[in-house]
Amino acid sequence: MTSAALFARTTSSARIRLRRRVLLCASCGLVALFALLSVALTTGEMGMPAGTALRALVGLGDPGDVLVVQQFRAPRAFAAIVAGAGLGVAGCVLQRLFRNPLASPDVMGVTGGASLGAVSLIAAGASQTLIPVGALAGGLLSALLLGVFAWRSGVAVTRLVLTGLAVQAGLAAAVNLLIVRFPAELAGSALQWTTGSVYGRTWTEVWGAGGAMVAALAVTLVLHRRLAVLDLGDDSAGALGLSTSAARLQLLFVAVVLASLAAALAGPVTFVALAVPHIVRFLTGPPTAVSLALAGLTGAVLLLASDLVVQHLLPVEGLPVGAVTATLGAPWLLVLMFRQSKPVHRSHA
Amino acid sequence: MPNLSSRLVTATRRGAPTGVPFRALRHIPILLTGIGALALISALSLALGARSVPLSTVADALFGDAGGRDALVVTGLRLPRTVIGLAVGAALGVAGAVAQGITRNPLASPTTLGINAGAGFAVVVAIFALKLNDPVEYVWFAFAGAAGAALLAQSLARRAGDIDPVRLALGGTVLQLVLLSWTSAVMLLNQRTLDEARFWLAGSLSGRTLATLWPVLPWLLLGLVVALAVSPALNALALGDDSAQALGVPVARIRLAGGIAVVLLAGSAVAVAGPIAFIGLAAPHLVRPLLGGDHRLLVPGCLIAGPLLLLSADVLGRLVIRPSELEVGIVTAFLGAPLLALLARKVAR
Repeated sequence: MTSAALFARTTSSARIRLRRRVLLCASCGLVALFALLSVALTTGEMGMPAGTALRALVGLGDPGDVLVVQQFRAPRAFAAIVAGAGLGVAGCVLQRLFRNPLASPDVMGVTGGASLGAVSLIAAGASQTLIPVGALAGGLLSALLLGVFAWRSGVAVTRLVLTGLAVQAGLAAAVNLLIVRFPAELAGSALQWTTGSVYGRTWTEVWGAGGAMVAALAVTLVLHRRLAVLDLGDDSAGALGLSTSAARLQLLFVAVVLASLAAALAGPVTFVALAVPHIVRFLTGPPTAVSLALAGLTGAVLLLASDLVVQHLLPVEGLPVGAVTATLGAPWLLVLMFRQSKPVHRSHA
Repeated sequence: MPNLSSRLVTATRRGAPTGVPFRALRHIPILLTGIGALALISALSLALGARSVPLSTVADALFGDAGGRDALVVTGLRLPRTVIGLAVGAALGVAGAVAQGITRNPLASPTTLGINAGAGFAVVVAIFALKLNDPVEYVWFAFAGAAGAALLAQSLARRAGDIDPVRLALGGTVLQLVLLSWTSAVMLLNQRTLDEARFWLAGSLSGRTLATLWPVLPWLLLGLVVALAVSPALNALALGDDSAQALGVPVARIRLAGGIAVVLLAGSAVAVAGPIAFIGLAAPHLVRPLLGGDHRLLVPGCLIAGPLLLLSADVLGRLVIRPSELEVGIVTAFLGAPLLALLARKVAR
């Protein structure tokens, strides 16, 4: 509906230019992803040429190479890709939904819920394989809390954002409580989880979360039309026959599922979901369904690159990838706030 | 958000801006009740805990008439703890009132300005790099970190121009996220830092001696004096920058003085007790319905309400899992999160 209206107004040459630009960005993103993936598979304590690594990925060549690539490097790289894609799309949907450039799963309480879920399972002494399930459940639980608190004859944007902050604060307190009460070595692994890390992922986790992620991404693309109508504002969207509250809840739910799946795989990695929508908007202009897909690609590239920085470029061992994404995200955020504040009238005080 | 700021403004108009007679007499019963409640909770704080002491023994111990283990518990452990609770609570309450006044933002508080996260990061770095292990040694690092983060957050908020509670809350939260993830990264670098820091980071009054309070007490008192001095001008500020200017109030200077007061107060509070959330946010909201929006009453009111809230939370933390105890920072976060959710419901209709 909106895209039709938009396209009717734009001239065909502008449309072609935009489309060409999106295509160019998408192919650049794919090339970058492929290059990063080959770096991730080839580098490490045991270096190997890219061809050997790719052959080892499908099970050919020296058994030692196959073991290293298939069991250690590939799951970690693919976990970063899947989680990054989920975070990117989730951030895109949330920012458009709330019309707020700072909305992201980090401030909505989803990451807090995922941390709490994972940390409680660590506390209960559950096996390593169950922890991602706990993170997923925690993320969904936080969304439920958010819905319960924020619902009041419809979902107003401001209330949802502020309630998200409250939910996040409460969940963070619970995580903090567990970390203080833990014995020291458990506290370390809990903290590692709550900062976000793709260290030690297995194929089971990657396939499970990856499958669910693909399904959730498909649902997001199907729901994209509603998102586009919501972009017009509540009144116009209502006049067009869309039930705004219902549509907003559906989209919110999908975004939360995406972010929770990402958190199940990589922990609550901050700032990817915040930064990706801005990068995509900067590159391709007004949002479309294609740019939503591009957001997934950008998120994957960003998280994989950050993980490579953690693994190979930093002198200290064992840093969580979340620390790098936060460090890269902070200046980004400052730029964002400064740029945003310019048009506001400043009193001559 | 317009209805919110207009409500604040009308509240201040009713409570009389500058130049209208100061009718404190009407509120004397409420202030006296508050002081009475504070005395009661202080007595309870001296009496209750893992080993409860009858109030008569408390009185005897305070006046030096009683010996034995009970008296030792009261004078040696609970008296310093209660005194520190009073000082820290007063500092946090007043800091919250002034922060909400100068930003004209009902959601501003020492926590949302990033003060706690800044102090936490500085302390963790100090523990890691300098191998400290005693809360007395953390004091100046916490103070410096708090001041640095507060200055950064305030410069951001000022650039954001006029009041947008959502943007300030989100911006402060994101600054907090960055600092928190750096804090976790440093803590993960070595086990000893993690072990030392996680207890301090929870925010607690237990195990602090008066030696922790003395070095920051002058700064705390200076902050209180500045806060009380600027409080009449905050009324004019609530009318908006332009109106305040027209009334002859030096807006920029008042805001600077208020900002300095917030940094001094909240910085000394976090230096003594570690990061404690929500007291600064809650105290003004508790006082406003009772005393009105006049800052000449609001700031002294918070001077009473802050310690009342903090000591209540501390006593509660001592009682819920006796004979062990919950850190007061965790108790306030658990109680404060629903409060923030309620505020969000009220603020964003």
